[in-house]
Amino acid sequence: MPTVSVKWQKEIFPAVEIDTSQPPLVFKCQLYDLTGVPPERQKIMVKGGLLKDDADWNAIGVKEGQRLMMMGTADEVVKTPEKGPVFVEDLPEDEQVVAVGHSAGLYNLGNTCYMNSTLQCLHSVPELKSALSNYAHSGRRSDLDPTSHQLTVATRDLFGELDRNFKPVSPMQFWMVLRKKFPQFGQQQNGFFMQQDAEECWTQLMYTLSQSLKSPDPGENPETVKRLFGIELVSRVHCKESSEESPETESVYALKCHISQEVNHLHEGLKHGLKSELEKVSPALGRSAVYLKESCINDLPRYLTVQFVRFFWKRESNQKAKILRKVDYPLELDVFDLCSESLKSKLQTPRQILRDEEGAKLGLKKNESKDKEAQTPKTEVGANENGQSSTGAALEEKEMHMTGIYDLVAVLTHKGRSADSGHYVAWVKQESGKWIEYDDENPIPQREEDITKLSGGGDWHMAYICMYKARLVQV
Amino acid sequence: MDQILTSQCICSSCRQCYLPSPDDMLVLEIAFSIYIKFEEYTSALCVALRMDNAPYVRQLFVCCSDPLKKKQLCYILARQGVSLDLDDEVIGNEEQREILQEIMSNAKLSEGYLTLARDIEVMEPKSPDDIYKVHLIDGRASAGASVDSARQNLAATFVNAFVNAGFGQDKLMTVPSESSSGGSSGSWLFKNKEHGKASAAASLGLIHLWDVDAGLAQIDKYFHSNDNHVITGALLAVGIVNCGIRNECDPAYALLADYVTKDDSSIRIGAIMGLGLAYAGTQKEEVLQLLAPILIDLKVPIEVIAFTAISLGLIYVGSCNDDVAQSIVLALMERSESELGEPLARFLPLGLGLLYLGKQENVDATIEVTKTFNQKISKYCQVALMSCAYAGTGNVLKVQSLLGICAEHLEKGETHQGAAVIGYALIAMAEELGLDMAIRSLGHLLQYGEQNIRRAVPSALGLLCISNPKVNVMDTLSRLSHDADSDVAMAATISLGLIGAGTNNARIAGMLRNLSSYYYKDASLLYCVRIAQGLVHLGKGLLTLAPYHSDRFLLSPSAAAGLIILLHACLDMKSIVLGKYHYVLYFLVLAVQPRMLMTVDEDLKPVSVPVRVGQAVDVVGQAGRPKTITGFQTHSTPVLLSAGERAELATEKYLALSSVLEGFVVLKENPEYRADHHSS
Repeated sequence: MPTVSVKWQKEIFPAVEIDTSQPPLVFKCQLYDLTGVPPERQKIMVKGGLLKDDADWNAIGVKEGQRLMMMGTADEVVKTPEKGPVFVEDLPEDEQVVAVGHSAGLYNLGNTCYMNSTLQCLHSVPELKSALSNYAHSGRRSDLDPTSHQLTVATRDLFGELDRNFKPVSPMQFWMVLRKKFPQFGQQQNGFFMQQDAEECWTQLMYTLSQSLKSPDPGENPETVKRLFGIELVSRVHCKESSEESPETESVYALKCHISQEVNHLHEGLKHGLKSELEKVSPALGRSAVYLKESCINDLPRYLTVQFVRFFWKRESNQKAKILRKVDYPLELDVFDLCSESLKSKLQTPRQILRDEEGAKLGLKKNESKDKEAQTPKTEVGANENGQSSTGAALEEKEMHMTGIYDLVAVLTHKGRSADSGHYVAWVKQESGKWIEYDDENPIPQREEDITKLSGGGDWHMAYICMYKARLVQV
Repeated sequence: MDQILTSQCICSSCRQCYLPSPDDMLVLEIAFSIYIKFEEYTSALCVALRMDNAPYVRQLFVCCSDPLKKKQLCYILARQGVSLDLDDEVIGNEEQREILQEIMSNAKLSEGYLTLARDIEVMEPKSPDDIYKVHLIDGRASAGASVDSARQNLAATFVNAFVNAGFGQDKLMTVPSESSSGGSSGSWLFKNKEHGKASAAASLGLIHLWDVDAGLAQIDKYFHSNDNHVITGALLAVGIVNCGIRNECDPAYALLADYVTKDDSSIRIGAIMGLGLAYAGTQKEEVLQLLAPILIDLKVPIEVIAFTAISLGLIYVGSCNDDVAQSIVLALMERSESELGEPLARFLPLGLGLLYLGKQENVDATIEVTKTFNQKISKYCQVALMSCAYAGTGNVLKVQSLLGICAEHLEKGETHQGAAVIGYALIAMAEELGLDMAIRSLGHLLQYGEQNIRRAVPSALGLLCISNPKVNVMDTLSRLSHDADSDVAMAATISLGLIGAGTNNARIAGMLRNLSSYYYKDASLLYCVRIAQGLVHLGKGLLTLAPYHSDRFLLSPSAAAGLIILLHACLDMKSIVLGKYHYVLYFLVLAVQPRMLMTVDEDLKPVSVPVRVGQAVDVVGQAGRPKTITGFQTHSTPVLLSAGERAELATEKYLALSSVLEGFVVLKENPEYRADHHSS
């Protein structure tokens, strides 16, 4: 009966006797007592391979004092989990979009960056997307001209395609329809399509959509686009010479930020933009006179569009020249002091609630009574409303109130010296809170602090159109 | 005394100068006899190993009577991966024999490495995120993906394995086993997809590198998995753990042998590659018996054949073994043209080439045979054989003929030009001067060469400067890593990892971080960037991939073989490294060695002594006793040695038994040393 030493992991069992008349299974049972490793899990290295349970000891020829090595653990066997993880590579295209965290880019079809950037900005509005998806393909309303209908359908299809893909999409269909509807975008120079003003594209597209997305049922929810983007202005038109005064109301889709010598900040520009002088025939004087028009906002939209009036017609060079002046804009815009008195009073309560909540978030001390009030309402940044049917959104909206505070969600920038040249790029905030720069077919992640650096003052990209989203509060 | 000095001068000149065969052998022989005469046994051993002359090695051991000196000799043998049969003539004392055997089988390598790691205080495991350092990347930090990407998880697996190589602990693979519920164990493993699981399980082997006992215990549970990929990984892991270690119980053979004949080809590959890694350079007869029949079996798929050829090439590296050569030649002749066109088919000629690694004209007969092969592979065979046979010789004529091949214009899409570029680097890496010339002329290839040549140049540069981040090469590779051709960019990225392997080089780390944000959208290139990042931090900066050691005098054949295999695999990055054979990256294990100087006392216990570490100076031909290092700093052992650095003892209290201070060095107390030496 030879005695061997057995090495197991870092341990050595010095004197283990082998009964050579018994099969090796007996020896394994001996080791089971020592190590706690069940015999079927034991692997014992002997000359020529592993020790088999039915091997013949004599054939193996174990020598006295030989060192054997045993491998094996009593650990639980690794089991394959029933449900393996899901990998990005396995997902279908449309789900990869979710994983990537942003939607696709748009190919440039030859100086179409003005159109691509406009589309990317508007594509970031979930409510617009849901309104478009409800737009029926057939059944054009009788009062709508066929090209508007086609453009709306093309927009809907393109937005759908952007959502489904994570690889760049070609906006060919949309572009053709756009040129059909607005022939000015089909201008050519030396056989190439010319660069166009993105603001014009934006305005025209917005106008078309506002026409086509009117609900057939006039009772509820009359105009989706107007509800989302329309800004109602009340103005007082005042003539100094005759002291005539007349009120006016109008609805616009964008506020203009005028840039002059004293404007350094978006807010100042907006104030300027709401005051204007115009010349018209005064009925009292019987001749044309200078009127002063002062406007203020009477109703706030869900999405506030701000246009920086950076381009002006330069007669001597016969082109739209650009003002490079640096105009800062904030990530959070408060338009309270641009509002009319009646709107201001409506905004009071929601604003108070919002302030309390923010205070609570920052951990400021407050009266207990106020605390109770603040517990119930909740801020809605509105990220969860996308994709819902418009009626559902409308129901919800009744409980949500404007606060006059807006968050920046999209910036359309221009780089270059005139509107009809240079390069347009869209910078869009994603639902995840990350910013993506859509440079035609390339979506590039960006940091939030870099977004406010697009304020001009050099030859870098500078903001041309900004889109802000209302911060709502529940009352 | 003067005589000794003169002899040293002569010998060092002999060692350094470039001579064509057969004069080089003559000169080495003279050097050997001089060393023997002056009882400079360690230097004599280096020369004998350079000649790859086993009888000389044996003669040395017989001549040397000092048991302590024999220990040192055994350490050198272990570093070179050579073993010697310790019979009675070599050593009489049974107890001594056991000690020497243990040194020679590298059994204590893991222990020494961990001692070094503890001394430098880098035992704490690192996760891939610690390496990526995303917070340092400005701007476009990669968009937070909510879903796991199989490719990025696989990259993380490799990074984790490379970084924690040999430490026995990490933050992905070994952690869950400690938690009480066994169900969660292997959770990271199953975050890898299909064949990715093989690499993940195999990474356990790299994490436990050289620590056979603990490693096998960890790997055991994966053998019982019902997933074939996991078993493949476990088999590979056994091979990796045993890489460079010889064990009397032969656990690798015992565990792997049964799996070689299984039906599933991925399991077969795992077992075969495992055997190749575990027994590289051992010429183990049993493995040949086991693997040779596979080569000539026509029913076996080409992928299995390819790995079999490589494994046999590794086991019989530089042996010129006729049986193995015959089998591989037969396999090459009998396979159909379409099979030889597969990307992995390049491993067959490579396996053949490894048999003749460094054996120069011994390869000629086989090259003649390969000329009769199928057109598809014949040229590749010739180039692979020639470049392997003259690897590390600096043979100018062969360099010229390889450059001649690069100058041809190919019409039929042949692949051998890439191999020629790598072959050029292999031959030219012999000495510093040739290396610089090679870097220069590779620049010309880059400018004037065709696309298939440009794709191989980054790999060649990576080989020339492996674990030796030369600034000019770094800049070239950094430029190429932005190349418009994605193959060039990928090869350059991996090569950036290779030249920085195990150095923690901050400049390369920064370059790779920038690349990771530059290529954040390109999954394939990002994967290469990640692997390169893992390589740069190989073993947290304690390891090297350089196949040269002992003052750049000796070339470890199995280390060189490992590098060659990987570089040839990199010639077709997309179908091998980026495809489902990514575990070829583990061939690098063959070249992994700690870049340390560890001093041990007469009982082989680590002892800390002050040493000066500085840039090596070429002292050949200088009179007197010139300084061998410059710009040195004094540290106490164990210390890290970078490429081109040399160490010398800064104390007179001890005498080193080795002429070259690298790896393990035995110290003995200086009998003439007086403690009050300085005060007097």
